[in-house]
Amino acid sequence: MRVRGLNVVYATSQGDLPAVRDVDLDIEAEKITGIIGESGSGKSTLVMALLNSVGKPGKIVSGSVLVPGVGDMLAIDRERQRKARGKELGLVFQAAQNSLNPLRRIGHQVLDLGRSHDVRDLRDLLRRARDLLTRLGMDADRVLTSYQHELSGGMRQRVGIMFALILDAKIVILDEATTALDMLSQASVLEIVRNLHKERGLTTILVTHDMGVVADMADRVVVMYGGEIVEEGPSELVLSQPAHPYTQGLVQAIPRISGDIDRAVPLQGLPADLKTYLEPGCPFYLRCPVAMPKCQTNRPKNVAVSADRKVACFKVTDHD
Amino acid sequence: MIEVEHLQKVYTTKGNLLTRSQVQAVRDVSFRIPDGGAISFIGESGCGKTTVGRILAGLETPSAGVVRLDGVDIRQVPARERRDLLRKIQLIHQDPYQALNPAQTIEQALSAPLRIMARQMGKASQPWIHERMEEVLTMVGLDHASILYKYPHMLSGGQRQRIVIARALTVEPKVLVADEAVSMIDVSLRLGVLRLLRDLREKLNISVLFITHDIAAARYLGQDGQMSVIYKGLIVELGSTEGIIAHPQHPYTQALLSAVPVLKGLEKMGADRFVLAKEMNTQSDVAAGCLFSDRCPFAEERCFREAPALIGEDHQHACHFPEVRQVAAVAME
Amino acid sequence: MSMLSPKSILRKQPSQSHNRQSFWTFAWRTIARKPGRLIGFFIILLYIFIGVFGPYMYPAQLPINPNAIYAPISWQYPLGADFEGTSNLALVITGARYVLFAAAMGAVFTVVFGTVLGLCAGYFIGWTDSVIMRITDFILTIPTFPLLVVLSTVWNFGQPIAMGFVLGITGWGGLARAVRSQTMSLRERGFIEAARGLGISPLNILFREILPNVGSYIAMNLLLSVTGSIYAEVGLFFLGVVPFQVNNWGVMLNLAVFSAGAMSSPQALPYLLSPMLAILILTLGIVLFLDALDEMFNPRLRGV
Repeated sequence: MRVRGLNVVYATSQGDLPAVRDVDLDIEAEKITGIIGESGSGKSTLVMALLNSVGKPGKIVSGSVLVPGVGDMLAIDRERQRKARGKELGLVFQAAQNSLNPLRRIGHQVLDLGRSHDVRDLRDLLRRARDLLTRLGMDADRVLTSYQHELSGGMRQRVGIMFALILDAKIVILDEATTALDMLSQASVLEIVRNLHKERGLTTILVTHDMGVVADMADRVVVMYGGEIVEEGPSELVLSQPAHPYTQGLVQAIPRISGDIDRAVPLQGLPADLKTYLEPGCPFYLRCPVAMPKCQTNRPKNVAVSADRKVACFKVTDHD
Repeated sequence: MIEVEHLQKVYTTKGNLLTRSQVQAVRDVSFRIPDGGAISFIGESGCGKTTVGRILAGLETPSAGVVRLDGVDIRQVPARERRDLLRKIQLIHQDPYQALNPAQTIEQALSAPLRIMARQMGKASQPWIHERMEEVLTMVGLDHASILYKYPHMLSGGQRQRIVIARALTVEPKVLVADEAVSMIDVSLRLGVLRLLRDLREKLNISVLFITHDIAAARYLGQDGQMSVIYKGLIVELGSTEGIIAHPQHPYTQALLSAVPVLKGLEKMGADRFVLAKEMNTQSDVAAGCLFSDRCPFAEERCFREAPALIGEDHQHACHFPEVRQVAAVAME
Repeated sequence: MSMLSPKSILRKQPSQSHNRQSFWTFAWRTIARKPGRLIGFFIILLYIFIGVFGPYMYPAQLPINPNAIYAPISWQYPLGADFEGTSNLALVITGARYVLFAAAMGAVFTVVFGTVLGLCAGYFIGWTDSVIMRITDFILTIPTFPLLVVLSTVWNFGQPIAMGFVLGITGWGGLARAVRSQTMSLRERGFIEAARGLGISPLNILFREILPNVGSYIAMNLLLSVTGSIYAEVGLFFLGVVPFQVNNWGVMLNLAVFSAGAMSSPQALPYLLSPMLAILILTLGIVLFLDALDEMFNPRLRGV
């Protein structure tokens, strides 16, 4: 999947605020890519933009999202877009209770989904749903006849995963899919995702704020800050040798389960907000421990620093 | 020093006129925190740890058990004294936004408790209140000048939680109950708040009860303290923080430690790490025997028959077949 | 390591406003944002002015001009004249005071009773709640209009305050219920629990913590009950049920229809329409202004 020059703005009474700026992204097929960012980083907007579902007052200003077998999600007609969502692109939401209809049983919702995607054999669809649910460690018949409030948080999340995969989507996006779960449920859901990813040869995109989740699962990690991509690379490398000061700070700010606890150092300053977006320079300027004068006025571009790594930082790129 | 002995909390819900169901939120919890000490309560949601925190803060009354603050049994004192005692135990909620009145500026939110304190100390004067306000805000690392007249929605999650802590500090508490206090804050800001709580322990000798499911965070806050693992309202393992992480004996503790994500590139996975697939059964309790037996991958026949008691000296556990397993991730290099 | 101070490590953030923005500044800004609200605001101000100063603008006894009976609309008689030749405009202006004063009194009574009882019922729950709610239910079942009609046979409604009192006494039920349910949901929120834990007295909690959060609802209800009260009073006087001593809009309507035969002869039409126009414009003003209230009391919109 290829994203080029994506720009999304939010129309406010104070003008257009950029939420996603000049994003160029290559999602490798059959790998797990983790997109990491906090509130204000633009990652949720990016996810919506990938599906061309950015809600008002957001507006996609420019760019292309090329999905294999579909075309440019931002250019094709509405009907084709709708079909792609679900069939080629599967989305699992955070706190899946917000995406499940509280008034229809799960089984009925599966049928609804099938009908809206012109699936001819609905019985077969249900059978696939049943298989998936069993695979996900649940009592399939019980779940299919339940309403969403009768299921626990962990179960709802798994149902969300089932919906994302039921039409055999090859690209699955999990947007903060485990944030609302506690550790044990998270661990088992992630394990399931890992296994399904391998079995079906999926292209998985994990969007989260939890470095731990990304570190554990992803092959490749993309770090977002202030609406831009500030670093990307193989996860092991980015974690052990982070290049961008934000990534460094982020990794350092994780409390560890072993080793010296004071190796963990808090990140200074406040997260990006509306005002940061309007500044001309690097969005991380105000919090950066190694900022240079030019960082305040010029915005660094996300450039390659090695075969598989990119960083958007003057400190790093000016060295070379 | 705060002591809790055999705390119990049962909720009765009235089904219809005839039936009533009982939920045992807390079955039997005992622990002690010295001044400036820390204890963390680890467990999944719904295992009673939040209820323990709320009982301590005086928001719920226990069905049984004793809570003693500096030797005084909170339930046995007259109402007025009890209120003063409970004020010494402050709860820091999970959601900092909900914990602040959206219609009040920070200055208004802080003056309310300060006015009470001023009256108590006979210093009902504006300058004293203002001075104290500056003091607590500085203590939590905030610039009072720029924050006093803001509304909660103008601040970041980390700042809001600091304000909540500042507000708790105005009444000079002895104990802070941090109920998932950093779960709803951005990751880059979490450590700052944890660091603050740690400093408060050191500087002001405040005890902290940290309720969380994030074991690494609990370790950061209370490495020198204790850790207790709770399952369905019962303590299944209790010991020093480092002791429990390095040598966990109970399978539930091991499952929780296994669930901590491993930072690839920085840590190595624990050799015995495993994943607990079954969900917690909230519907009904296991008839007899160990409450964890239906999910335990190592359960044996005895576990379904007989409930294990909490035994041990410094490191206690409630398991018939305790066995140390290396499940926690280990730092590389 | 000592407590970390953000000042030492951060680059200079753009200077923050240290000033506390008062509620009134914010309220004015909210009103001024949309022209509709501004118009509504000025209309209300105008009516308050008329209500207070109106009668002073004219002599105690309005001049009767036999040559100007049912005079058509002109510069001298902007709204025409009545059956005695008195300017309708003068009648409307002097007749405003009673109506507005009684309505305002009624609204104040409603709001005070409704808010206090609603807050207490919603916060203290249990026994207090049951008692207050039973009383509220009782009040709600009393039909205001017929009650007023009955009371008018024994009570002298010459003084607007008496009318206002009765209107207020019967009208607080709905507000009490609404405030109660808002309070009940707020009481579970973290900041209320925190206030209790900090030892803040229940009275302070009710009026300093909860009340500001139901402010918008109360303000809107206040204005709407003003309109409701006006209709009730005017209706009463129109029906002729209440004996009138002082001129007011309701009296004008009554006279216009029953004495002047405005329904059948076009001559008396301005006499009929003048008070109706007055009421209409006031209602319009209130409705336009209402739009600002929700925003004004929403703290989330402050200082952005």
